[in-house]
Amino acid sequence: MIASPPVATEVLHALERVPSDACGALVRTHGDGTVAGALLCERGRVCWAMSQHYPRRLSDILIDEQDTLTYTQLNEVFAMCRRDHMPLGETLVARGLVSLPILHRALLRHTCEALDCLVREEASPWAWVAHKQYGYHPMLTFSPTEILTGVRAIANPELAARSLARLREVVRPGQRGFAIERARGAKIPLAHVGCEAVDLVALGDIAVHADEVTAVAQTVNVKVTLAQLGELACASWIERDVLFVLLCDGELAFNRLLAQMAAMAIQP
Amino acid sequence: MANTRPMALLTTIVERVEDCLVAAWVDTRTGAVLDRRAPRDEAFVTEALEAAIEVMRSRERPPRMVLLSERHTHIVHRAANDPHRVLVVVCDRSQNLGLAVSLVRMLMDAEAA
Repeated sequence: MIASPPVATEVLHALERVPSDACGALVRTHGDGTVAGALLCERGRVCWAMSQHYPRRLSDILIDEQDTLTYTQLNEVFAMCRRDHMPLGETLVARGLVSLPILHRALLRHTCEALDCLVREEASPWAWVAHKQYGYHPMLTFSPTEILTGVRAIANPELAARSLARLREVVRPGQRGFAIERARGAKIPLAHVGCEAVDLVALGDIAVHADEVTAVAQTVNVKVTLAQLGELACASWIERDVLFVLLCDGELAFNRLLAQMAAMAIQP
Repeated sequence: MANTRPMALLTTIVERVEDCLVAAWVDTRTGAVLDRRAPRDEAFVTEALEAAIEVMRSRERPPRMVLLSERHTHIVHRAANDPHRVLVVVCDRSQNLGLAVSLVRMLMDAEAA
């Protein structure tokens, strides 16, 4: 199943309905009253998504991400956690079965894929159901930027993977970067490095400015644009219809970014 | 008495920034070039000034930008006391582009002080 950009926009609108300090779920139901799926959130972060029509289990993705794991190992831990009311993610890490980065990646992938399915369901609008207790470890929950980027990447996995690889080549320690396809519609990143905590609206605003400036500056063959936004320095360029943005702050950030961009080869 | 400092700034820039093609004050509201010093008055200069005006037309743009092409460095600074007035400096791209950018910033800050 291939997602399209409007799916990411739909997710964006759903996330905008999540109260910033509450704990609960956005739920969609079928006409007969059965639950089509839900998006669990705590303190403005996404914890988990489920959809009746999403076929993969977390164990499938964990084994995909780490081929030394087996279903037998995972099922034992799942059963123990259920029996003893232990948190699953923390237990997997504590037992050395998966590393935190792999667990984080697997949970994010599962949540984004389930959410992508849930948005496509023929079901009711989202309804917020408040929960009384907070239960997820913040390290294993996700910011709206992480979720939106993950869902957006499902629409075009090759482009997202290529953009992420390029970002990893160019983003230096202390910097952040993101990539956005140059197309109409909401400015939702295809990939990012280090932008988890950056507000999605702020990323969108930077992208809009960078895209507009680049469109004009291309008339005089400009390839790279650098801007100073207070303490933040920002560089942007386009490669194969993807807008890349690097963000750098701190002392002499603009000069450091200028030196880096001057030395960088921009792919046609 | 007319304020001659902005014009003196342009002269200082073309004297001190290596390979400077043009230094100019532009008005982003009217699109007019208010004053310019162009040691090498190439046809490209007009296009570069027009592009800078267009880039800075929106007041939401960052006040300080540098645009890099393969051959040129474009430096644009919005004046602190008049958001419609923008300094544009275009020079050949060289190994010393960081120096040119810092020099223009220093001169602009000194003018604003």
